[in-house]
Amino acid sequence: MEYVSPFDERRREPEPLAPRRHALQGARVALLDITKRRGDEFLDRIEERLREHGAETFRVAKEIFSKPAEPELIRRIANRGDLAVEGLAD
Amino acid sequence: MAAPAPRTRAPSFALPSTTGGSLGLDDLVAGGPALLIFASEECPTCALALRRLAAIVAPLQAAGVGLAVVFEDPLDVAARVARDARFKGTVLAEPAPYDTSRAYGLESLPTTILLDRDAAVAGTVVGWDAEALSALVGEACAAVGAPAPAITSERPRKKPGCAAKSTYDDEMLALIDRAGAADEMEDMFERGWTDGLPVVPPTRSRVDAMLAGRDPHESLGEVPPGTGEATLERVAACAVLAGCRPEYFPVVLAAVEAALDPAFNVGGQAVTTQPAGQLVIVSGPVAAAIGVHSGMGVLGPGFRANLTIGRALRLVVTLTGGGAPGRLDRSTLGHPGKLGFCIAENEDGSPWEPLHVERGFARDDSVVTVVGCDAPLSISDHRATTPAELAEILGWAGAATWSPNWWPLGGTSVYVVCPEHQAMFGAAGWSKQRLREAMFDAVRKPARELRRGETTPQVHAAAPDDVITKWDRPDDIVLLAAGGEAGRYSAVLGPCLGMNSQMVSLEVAWST
Repeated sequence: MEYVSPFDERRREPEPLAPRRHALQGARVALLDITKRRGDEFLDRIEERLREHGAETFRVAKEIFSKPAEPELIRRIANRGDLAVEGLAD
Repeated sequence: MAAPAPRTRAPSFALPSTTGGSLGLDDLVAGGPALLIFASEECPTCALALRRLAAIVAPLQAAGVGLAVVFEDPLDVAARVARDARFKGTVLAEPAPYDTSRAYGLESLPTTILLDRDAAVAGTVVGWDAEALSALVGEACAAVGAPAPAITSERPRKKPGCAAKSTYDDEMLALIDRAGAADEMEDMFERGWTDGLPVVPPTRSRVDAMLAGRDPHESLGEVPPGTGEATLERVAACAVLAGCRPEYFPVVLAAVEAALDPAFNVGGQAVTTQPAGQLVIVSGPVAAAIGVHSGMGVLGPGFRANLTIGRALRLVVTLTGGGAPGRLDRSTLGHPGKLGFCIAENEDGSPWEPLHVERGFARDDSVVTVVGCDAPLSISDHRATTPAELAEILGWAGAATWSPNWWPLGGTSVYVVCPEHQAMFGAAGWSKQRLREAMFDAVRKPARELRRGETTPQVHAAAPDDVITKWDRPDDIVLLAAGGEAGRYSAVLGPCLGMNSQMVSLEVAWST
């Protein structure tokens, strides 16, 4: 019996992961605030700890937590950063 | 047809791939030698072979050896069987009449063929034969100077397969087609084509009846959160699965299109830990014409159009869009309305103008409105004697939605006002707007009483005696006239917050 699938069966190839970086010294770390409440407090503390380990940090924020990050924001993180830390949830 | 002789060029083919587009013989050997495996859904040896070969897909790809499995099945079946086997190589589909299988002279499945870089047949293994397959893989890897990955030594080392479907005569093929799965309803669950309840199997003829001549490949756009494309054919498949009649389909299409409006943010609603579902409100002549119920028991159960139209939208979100509960849908509790949530207003019996007219459409327009909202909270009031008193009671029921101290709400409250409550407002000449304003004015508190637990930044910033209202504005209260004529029960539906989600209305492409 032929059925019509409700799924989009096209399989997407996974994006390859960027090379992993193992040392924080000198790393440029993007701290992404998704704009959920108190995410900034979490990222403040993470920023402090990262700097203690010699990382450079920069802050970026999504416009709203419930939508995917804008492509421009992702590009900015990829261009400027070696690593990214995202502050999720409340 | 006889199998191609060794060292002669293999028969050409171009078959649809599960990654989209089609793939041919020359594509397969473009990077070097390749293994071509023929398989079918029904063959247990094929399933075993794919499960075991899944482990060497990545090393073969890294070595530059091509690998593809051709199923003697439709594309969706091929994709499902490969997914179940965790086989991540190229998956191609060859439904009846199996010309490629015939060209390769297949007799049984699985058959694995080694093609050299000139697309000539360099070896063939029939059935599961670990030793012979190891030799074939070894030969392929030697040709590119790579080490051969090991094939599992698990038993059985040898297992015969099944007859290739290309060897069946027409009578046998027709029998298989008629037989379908052993239990069609269970088959739907196995495919994952469900929301947990039984579904109507989306056969080609049912889907075609739903489409009623529409272009099956026309797209309404990508459905978040997993971004599957909502072709009309897939939306029709969801409508069939949900149990819709073909005459509901224009409403389903409008609901899906409205839900895909970026202003609705269905992606955020689909993945949130909140319980929110998507309520579909059907307005105008189409509602009565197709039987969307607005009367007794309007919030369900009991009414096919209501339940199945709402369910079709949810299946588009959860199946086509990939927002399945417990996976991408992270809702902590969910609510029963997430199965399907659709109502109409009692437009003729109500003292008020219907929602679509409030939103700028003509009364004779048929319109669908989607709104993200929580489960209904019933509000019993059989004692109020004035409209002002009743407005206050309805308003205060909404005060507890989302969280009791979360004021202002920052979202929409949808009220379903029952006929006896409507009548009290109607007799006093109260419009929807007057009721909204009375409810808005009634529900207010000093900030100090709201400073417990989850409160808004406005409450934090206010002086203790500053008055805070439950809503930012009267227009955040949406009033719908519906329900049975007896019983003074209205309801309020909590919001879906933090989504920046707007209510979206769209005209239904429909005529009598």
